[in-house]
Amino acid sequence: MNPAEVHPTAFIFVGLTIGGALLSVLLRNILHAVFGLGIALAGIAGLFLYLDSAFLAAMQVLIYVGGISVAMVFAVMMAHTLGRRELLVGRRLLAAIPALGLTFTLALVVLSSRFVGSTGVRPDEATVLRSIGKQLLTEFNVAFEALSVVLLLAIIGAIVVAKERKH
Amino acid sequence: MFNQLFGNIWLVTLASGAVIMGFLTVNALFLVWLERKLSARFQRRLGPTEVGFAGTLQTLADAVKLLGKQLITPRNADKPLYHLAPVIVFMPVVVGVSLFPIDRQLMFVDLNVGLVLVFAFAGIGFIGIFMAGWGSNNKYALLGAMRAVAQNIAYEIPLILSALSVTLLARSMKLSAIVEAQSTLPYLLFQPLGAAIYLIGAVAETNRAPFDIPEAESELVAGFHSEYSGMRFAVFFLAEYSNMAIVSMVATTLFLGGYHGPWLPGYVWFFIKVYGLISLMMWFRWTFPRLRFDQLMSFAWTVLVPLSLANLMGTAVVLKVFRR
Repeated sequence: MNPAEVHPTAFIFVGLTIGGALLSVLLRNILHAVFGLGIALAGIAGLFLYLDSAFLAAMQVLIYVGGISVAMVFAVMMAHTLGRRELLVGRRLLAAIPALGLTFTLALVVLSSRFVGSTGVRPDEATVLRSIGKQLLTEFNVAFEALSVVLLLAIIGAIVVAKERKH
Repeated sequence: MFNQLFGNIWLVTLASGAVIMGFLTVNALFLVWLERKLSARFQRRLGPTEVGFAGTLQTLADAVKLLGKQLITPRNADKPLYHLAPVIVFMPVVVGVSLFPIDRQLMFVDLNVGLVLVFAFAGIGFIGIFMAGWGSNNKYALLGAMRAVAQNIAYEIPLILSALSVTLLARSMKLSAIVEAQSTLPYLLFQPLGAAIYLIGAVAETNRAPFDIPEAESELVAGFHSEYSGMRFAVFFLAEYSNMAIVSMVATTLFLGGYHGPWLPGYVWFFIKVYGLISLMMWFRWTFPRLRFDQLMSFAWTVLVPLSLANLMGTAVVLKVFRR
């Protein structure tokens, strides 16, 4: 996409995403950082909406903003010692190494892949929804089922961990 | 709906926002009055009678009082979260209301994924509740917030599953299409179990009795909004009553046929159904005793979730066998 074609609203969402991400990295109170992450995730949902994918935007809000962020807040509160303690600088330097590595890899992947140009036709959201559903259960069925097995394992693991703490 | 009046998208958004905010304010004023009147009648009292006809202006007077009250911020509050929380709780409500078809030609936004969006925005409200409970730096507020979020997550699952069975019937997540599919018979007749599960889940999602443990006054003062005063408290109240309207609008759209009905115009039917459901929820509140927290959670996970899953699978099987 040519930068000149981008509508100004897109920059609001880009700003939200980057600002939220910065907040989540720079804030020293871990709970504030989680809420910063929530802002970044909401910004991404806005970008999906801007790119004409209302379904992805709704899913992003439902799963990441409403689900994952809340789960993270819960986790922070359950680990009660973390509540108001601030993170150490040394740990941050340690965390920077994998973060930079991941950023580098992702940038490499994005820059080296070839994107199919836009056809200029706005896809109808209903047909998009239908084809997502069809493809998930046909072409990508194996990946879909594998993901559900992984999630099931995660749930069982969580139950086992929670049960052990009780005794 | 304003597209014909103003061409500009920003003006349209602004005008729609203003209309929705106005509606929500009037709605809350009316519902608080209705709740006080109904609760009084259930307890053989009269309720407000002095201000206006049958006390109708009582809540307006209360609103003016709340506007004039001092805003108190606890000294050790987590200030950014404490101040942001009422905004985060109220914001998704405004978006939520804009998604419903009130009449054939009367709706603010008509999206193909309208149903998903309604639930998605409901989820944002939980974060606001958490911010309020944590930001207040008060143990009762924090306990109330944790209860509220645990309860909302638990009851959201049967709620969404029962809504999914309706999408199977209507073959669409577009709210206007779901209403149009019920032009002859409402889905209540095909999905009685789904509708019952939805209603129970909706009462729990709005944190109302018998599921009001997040703000059980005998245990937790007022739960997550204990430390809020004046207008900030009023915003939480506004959000609570607006949420009642939203869950009733979802139920009307999914199970009661939305704006369909004989003789009267569509929007009248829509609001009759919505406020009928709200009155039913108020009736519940003043009839049933409050549940204990563990009873509430085990009821969600061991009764409602399996039932709604069975309902969803049963619907899918019946549709597969009998349709075409």
